[in-house]
Amino acid sequence: MTMQTMLTDPLAAMLLAAADDLLMLGHVQSDWTGLAPILEEDIAASAMAQDDLSHALVIYEFLGGEHDLDPDTIAFDRNLEDYRCCDLVTVPDDFDWSISLCKRWLVASYSKLGFDRFATIEGDIGQRCARLRDEAAIHVAHLNNWIIRLGTGSQESNDRLQQAINKLIPEAGMLFEPPDAGLEQDESFCCGRQEIFEEWVDQNIATLSQANLQGTFTLPDREAVGGRRGIHADHFVEQFEEMTEVRRTEPSAAW
Amino acid sequence: MVSIQTIEAALEQVPDPELPISIVELGMVKTVSLEGKSARVHLLPTYTGCPALPVIEKDVVTKISAIEGVDECIVEWAYEPAWTPDRITPVGRDTLRAHGVTSMPCASEAKVTLTTSAITCPYCGSSQTRLDSPFGPTRCRSIHFCEACRNQFEHMKART
Repeated sequence: MTMQTMLTDPLAAMLLAAADDLLMLGHVQSDWTGLAPILEEDIAASAMAQDDLSHALVIYEFLGGEHDLDPDTIAFDRNLEDYRCCDLVTVPDDFDWSISLCKRWLVASYSKLGFDRFATIEGDIGQRCARLRDEAAIHVAHLNNWIIRLGTGSQESNDRLQQAINKLIPEAGMLFEPPDAGLEQDESFCCGRQEIFEEWVDQNIATLSQANLQGTFTLPDREAVGGRRGIHADHFVEQFEEMTEVRRTEPSAAW
Repeated sequence: MVSIQTIEAALEQVPDPELPISIVELGMVKTVSLEGKSARVHLLPTYTGCPALPVIEKDVVTKISAIEGVDECIVEWAYEPAWTPDRITPVGRDTLRAHGVTSMPCASEAKVTLTTSAITCPYCGSSQTRLDSPFGPTRCRSIHFCEACRNQFEHMKART
């Protein structure tokens, strides 16, 4: 019952969308630990994955307090269709660093803009999100630097990053899908959608132009149906099953 | 009858597991309160993803619960005010510097970019330093390089 209350609450739906993106991104990105191209980036990418998971946790803890749920229950025990993440986060990178970098860059810059807005809410969640916003800003700055570094590096690094951008941009608009049709009425959050999208595009284009890269972003219409509404791609399901395997095998496992 | 001062003094004995200073010197303690024999400590996380946070929580509970006259100790994490390196005490700053870790007030931090930084090298005092990576060995530290003495050093990073 409490899970149902949470899932139908507009603010919770927005927060779950933000947290689920980071939970899945952090899980997927941890595949790279020990394998990133250079040591410093191995540390940085692993640290960012760790941050993403902890940022999701900070939000699940808040929602758990509001709806009398254990944060792990929110993270791992929902039905697949109750996950609100955009499926961009689980697009396979096949251990191609350019895809990993580009994906994290697109998601982090979006995430930061969401936290900017959540941080204006009075009270506990606003305070939590202000903290997360500041940490997310470090991610965005770091990822922007790498887009510029690789874009202006060699012909090969520029080509490969451009290919990654071309591949991911069509999926990226889905970040802006409203998580629930009911949110159409919730002016305070969802309907900043156009404004957030424009801010996100302006920032991305500014970075791409410094990096000698190109990208055209489009906002999908509101009727688009995907991860935010619980209709998930196969790659999400695969990642979700891997992430929750231990939990499903031994629900009381602790470490 | 146990006093707040006793509890505060005990907290000074709780080390950060990843730094050579205590959690009090690091500025993580927000408030300490006492209700009868029940102590409550509000702590500020340096960074939310820091894996040392549960260790610190456990250490605080163990330390405070061991004080005569204290029956229980409750630790709560607070997000307001946000922890910043400004909260590190002068003694804490000196100890960190002696270990090759710098810290400075946030106001100066805006100047830090990938190629230039206003951070002074803890070894030679040069300001010819650059940021190598904002993600260091722990969540709260960034990695910097001194062009003058060619040493790498760490810095308690501020939020941007």
